[in-house]
Amino acid sequence: MKRKLYTVKVFFIINLRRVFRDRMALFFTFLFPLIFLFVFGGLNSGNKSVSFNVAIINESKAPFSTFFIGELTKGKTFKVDKDITTFSQADEKMGRGELDATIELPASFGQTLPGQDHPTGQAVVHYTQNNQNAANTLTNVLQAKLQSINVHLVHTDTPLTVTTKQSNQRSLSSFDYTFTGLLGFAILGAGIFGPINIFPELKKMGILRRLHTTPLRVWQYFLSTMIGSAVVGLMSLAVMFAVAIAMFHLKVVGNYVELAAFLIFGIVMILGIGLALGGWAKNERQVAPLANIIVFPMMFLSGTFFPRYAMPEWLQHVSDFLPLSPVIDGARLIATEGQHLWQIGSQLGIMAAWLVIVYAVAFRVFRWE
Amino acid sequence: MAKIILEVENLQKSYDGKKVVNGISFNVEKGEIFGILGPNGAGKTTTLEMIETLREIDGGTATIAGIDVATNPYKIRSIIGVQPQTPGFQDKTKLTELIQMFAAAYGEKVNPKKFLDEVNLGEKKDAYVESLSGGQKQRFSIVAALVHNPKVFFLDEPTTGLDPQARRNLWSLIEEVRDRGISVILTTHYMDEAEMLCDRIAIMDQGNIIALDTPKKLIKDLLKRGFTKKQQVEQANLEDVFIDMTGKGLRK
Repeated sequence: MKRKLYTVKVFFIINLRRVFRDRMALFFTFLFPLIFLFVFGGLNSGNKSVSFNVAIINESKAPFSTFFIGELTKGKTFKVDKDITTFSQADEKMGRGELDATIELPASFGQTLPGQDHPTGQAVVHYTQNNQNAANTLTNVLQAKLQSINVHLVHTDTPLTVTTKQSNQRSLSSFDYTFTGLLGFAILGAGIFGPINIFPELKKMGILRRLHTTPLRVWQYFLSTMIGSAVVGLMSLAVMFAVAIAMFHLKVVGNYVELAAFLIFGIVMILGIGLALGGWAKNERQVAPLANIIVFPMMFLSGTFFPRYAMPEWLQHVSDFLPLSPVIDGARLIATEGQHLWQIGSQLGIMAAWLVIVYAVAFRVFRWE
Repeated sequence: MAKIILEVENLQKSYDGKKVVNGISFNVEKGEIFGILGPNGAGKTTTLEMIETLREIDGGTATIAGIDVATNPYKIRSIIGVQPQTPGFQDKTKLTELIQMFAAAYGEKVNPKKFLDEVNLGEKKDAYVESLSGGQKQRFSIVAALVHNPKVFFLDEPTTGLDPQARRNLWSLIEEVRDRGISVILTTHYMDEAEMLCDRIAIMDQGNIIALDTPKKLIKDLLKRGFTKKQQVEQANLEDVFIDMTGKGLRK
């Protein structure tokens, strides 16, 4: 037995060195997931507060109107496109969806009418068909702004008001979902795309056939591949965590040891799918369609690119049982919700079931040539 | 009589009802080079692959050193070395590492440099296999198949595609392997190779062995039957001229 494990060790070490000599493999293992992280992380980081892209067309010469624009641009709520000065420019940009609305301050806005001691006027919000929701919300925001100014201009009683208060409950940001989804994507890449590219190549070159003439057992070959993938995969995920913490303010509240153990389990289980596909296929052409049938549902239904809570409930229940879903959910529960391994029994259970299934299949269908 | 290492009896294989190997029997002795000749499709490779445990044996038996091939594939694999037709090795792996891996596949730990020196590849120890020439690859492939000191060494068309210098180098390498007491079994299409290298040959056609003896004896038998060549054979041929002019030394 010791000799058999020595075989596993040598294969693991030499193949690990080989990964680090292969620029292509390094790119897909380390850089590729980071590119996705930057793209999706960047898309999400602006989501924290509500904001509107608007143009302001000011036709009024009243000082109040200038003051009012100053008030609007103070906060982060309005992002004013300062290049726009005419309606035709504004319409064009609204038509392309780059602007949510245009705020018009007519010539009469902010003028003090004779016999009054305060400015009056009406701002107009212009919007296109597709921006109705944004325009409604924006109108309400403007209304509230004007209301707060009105109070200072004309004394009125405001018996009923509303205020906001932040709850102390920690909540998940959408980035937490995005990030663990991308972890899942990286695990899919390393665990499935790796083997289905490498194995047919090894078969084509007769490398596996040659190994078949030695007493090497399939389990030894699988085990060395498993350890290698777990080590490389964990490094790649660690880089993703580091970048997410440093650049996207990810807060990991869970235990890192439990997290690493859980991720290794996930990598090894998903790798089983890759080993089954790659080990079975005689060549690249044979494996591609089958791999797509298996990978695409997981890519879209397991929460890699958009969270599963956004799906219809029945679909959530179905996708619970896809192999990748418990990996992504479990990673999120541990990393960002601070749960322990014994609290995520249902995820671990589904993963264990898949582990048994995929490796039973992988051993059965493996071919050396 | 010399000790028999490989014993094949009534070996059979059929694909889709068609007999590819039709109940052949032969023995290979310890420390001899045994050649299997025959046109394409004669069943040479299938025969080798059955003995190498790569293909199931449909009928008959093969035993190596008294061990039955069909029932003890893993024991057999640990006492045979196999050189496939096209030696393929994984890329971006140093020669020393590949030797270590092959040894490890047999559960052995070896000094890779020693093996590489044996085939004049010591200087290339840190090179990747993809940078080797065809002849170097063949030499490396042979030494990789011998890391566990097997009792029988199989080669499938070892010199196909090599230049005359590399072929001669490989022949002397194969003779050295034989002289270490390892039995060598090879297939070939080249008659000159069989004549110069093999101690005994079996000629296969359509799944049967139609002749089995030393090359000299087979030629003598043919002449006895009254065979004459149309043209008087010169004492040298074009290959002799080529080797005389370009030398036996290996080209890089």
